[in-house]
Amino acid sequence: MNNIPLVHFLYLAAILFGIGMFGVLARKNAISVLMGIELMLNAVNINYLAFARYWNWSSLTGPVFVIFVITIAAAEAAVALAIIISIYRHLKTANVDEAHYLRG
Amino acid sequence: MENLIFYIIAGVTVASALLALTVRNLFHCALFLAMAMFGVSGVFIYLNSDFLASVQVLIYVGAVTVIIIFGISLTRNMMDDRAKAMNNQLLFSILTAIVLSVIIIMAIQESPFLGSEHPMSVMLGSVSGDVAQPVVQTVANADHPFHGGVSYLAGALLKPENGFAFAFEFVSILLLSALVGAIVIARKDPS
Repeated sequence: MNNIPLVHFLYLAAILFGIGMFGVLARKNAISVLMGIELMLNAVNINYLAFARYWNWSSLTGPVFVIFVITIAAAEAAVALAIIISIYRHLKTANVDEAHYLRG
Repeated sequence: MENLIFYIIAGVTVASALLALTVRNLFHCALFLAMAMFGVSGVFIYLNSDFLASVQVLIYVGAVTVIIIFGISLTRNMMDDRAKAMNNQLLFSILTAIVLSVIIIMAIQESPFLGSEHPMSVMLGSVSGDVAQPVVQTVANADHPFHGGVSYLAGALLKPENGFAFAFEFVSILLLSALVGAIVIARKDPS
């Protein structure tokens, strides 16, 4: 079996989370923002599985939570794409900084 | 050798994730995202979760990326190469992301579960035991090793005594209602 230390998985997840955060903050297009959110959720999944594998071998709570996260990420992607298409139909744009009707 | 392959997978994942959020062409973004998802599923295999790795490929590479590509094609005039891909807070976003990652990494290094006084720290430094027979095992119930296989997961999800059965059914209702809601939102107005 591999002998990769746990912290390397955690470092990978932290870097992926940072990249996803960068995408959410910096990209103009709403679909790219969605991609950043998906990357952040994947980083969380890596953390769940790494701790489940290295810390508590007998418990299946980590993998079960990964399944829930994947399910909710899929539902979120579907709803987000529907909202983006609806916004595009109304405003003729998919840029997050041009859809500011709710700005105070 | 196995470790080298893991670090290659991790490097490919990070590089394609970075490219997926910096490349201007949105189709290339979606393809790099699929590549990053493949890398994450490889990392899942290194964590003994073969079923979750296949689920990752099926859902993220198969479904989410395809949905994203459909979304890109339906909002097509965003595809011109002259438009700026980033908004005007690019510098602060880079700063925030780097600071966030560095803070998380520093917190991992400082955290007490890596200290030698912790009873679990023996297996945290480097696990060299076989999966079937975990040598370094300080957690209770050692005769039931961690296994991401599908039968263990099915038992954990569906047996009522494990406590996840209600949540499992509830999340399936959530998925169904989210899909119906997506159809309702994206539908053209009949009026």
